[in-house]
Amino acid sequence: MLNFIAIVIRFFTIVLAGIFSGFLGSLTGLGGGTILVPMLTLFYGVPIIFATGASLISTIATSDGSASAYTKEKIANVNLSISLEVATTGGAIVGSFVAIYMYAHALSWIVYIIFGSVLLFSLYPAVKKLHSEIPKKTKADWSTRFFKLSGSYFDEHLNRTVNYQGSRWYLGETIMFFAGFFSGLLGIGSGALKVLGMDWALNLPMKVTTTTSNFMIGITAATSSTIYWYAGFIQPMIAAATAIGVLIGAYYGSKVLVRISNENIRLIFFSILIFLGLDMIFSGFNKINIVFVDADFQFLTAASIASITILILFFREKIMSGMVHKK
Amino acid sequence: MKNFDDTMVVSYFLRGGSILSVILIVSGVILLFAKNGGDGFTLQQIASYSYSMAHGIDSKNISLGGIIQGVIKLDGVYFIALGLWTLIFTSISVVLVRLVWFAIARDSKFVIITLLVLFNLFFAMLVVPSLL
Repeated sequence: MLNFIAIVIRFFTIVLAGIFSGFLGSLTGLGGGTILVPMLTLFYGVPIIFATGASLISTIATSDGSASAYTKEKIANVNLSISLEVATTGGAIVGSFVAIYMYAHALSWIVYIIFGSVLLFSLYPAVKKLHSEIPKKTKADWSTRFFKLSGSYFDEHLNRTVNYQGSRWYLGETIMFFAGFFSGLLGIGSGALKVLGMDWALNLPMKVTTTTSNFMIGITAATSSTIYWYAGFIQPMIAAATAIGVLIGAYYGSKVLVRISNENIRLIFFSILIFLGLDMIFSGFNKINIVFVDADFQFLTAASIASITILILFFREKIMSGMVHKK
Repeated sequence: MKNFDDTMVVSYFLRGGSILSVILIVSGVILLFAKNGGDGFTLQQIASYSYSMAHGIDSKNISLGGIIQGVIKLDGVYFIALGLWTLIFTSISVVLVRLVWFAIARDSKFVIITLLVLFNLFFAMLVVPSLL
């Protein structure tokens, strides 16, 4: 058993992990959980059930804490978020039930692998659109008017008002169901999928997607976390430490988001996701002894692949912007 | 009506809810450390992941009905539980504010959409426990 000092240290290190996750979660629109679950399971030895439970609670904290700042800035699209939440909350209920089934049948290794894969696959469409600060205007369809998908906001970084017009709501809604499903299954806000649904399917500017996603994450996670509560996935001390940390981190993250350039958001987002995604997949395979590598080797491999990928993306961006200047 | 700004109301609800939940959670943590535990467990037991897993120190065993009694007894675990539920209800209150806003604006389409979201939320909260 731990002594008093060790318990205090343990508590504050989890708060620190929460601050880090909350800051990046709010900056990228992912919600704190996507970063928190791998950190707690891989580096702190927290059982995945408690990590996902604490993560869901922290995800609500990130959303509530940062959305209050974003709504003031009037970037988030409230009408859009409510129509998409029908799908995310429905998906969250289904996903939570699947999670309960998996943990009851010793299938947690699948959760690790799905977690890592969701992190990595969510990168693909975003990498393809790396250079689009603001998307090209697309033709309005029936859903643009029906669900009020158009709007405008003032972009501090570009120093002008940006008008936008979303379309293909049905495609966004379908992606949102899966975003909700993975939120319930993995205990995350599924911000990555929500951002991609709005960025790629609805064709909205990155700032609108990240802020609106932050808004929606709270409702989705509130749905899953009530189910997690009754299933016993929430451990009071871990959840308390992460909620406090994530709220502090999210508060500062939201202050930075309003100023930061969109390309920067994406690069930070990519490097961390690649590393954590790979590390989670390795851990899943380790659990069933399909591939057995030592934890340090696993860490180094994931970190090396993530660093190389980011360097390639960074230089590709430099070269492409150089070509634009030459033209 | 022109002076009523729904996004500002939502912002105040979010801020108020977040602050209240942090106060409750921090108070709960202070009580846990000051009273060396809570809900019949010692601080060491609560801080141990394996002990918590083996002995059910988790949300399943924190009865919602017992939260008020636990708070009156200044039990840290119940303060944390109340703080966590405050966070959950803060999110739900945002949906309720929007429902009122759409109803005032007589936007029946969005009233129905918002009711669907609330149906899902209350299904998870009230129906699911009986299914587990």
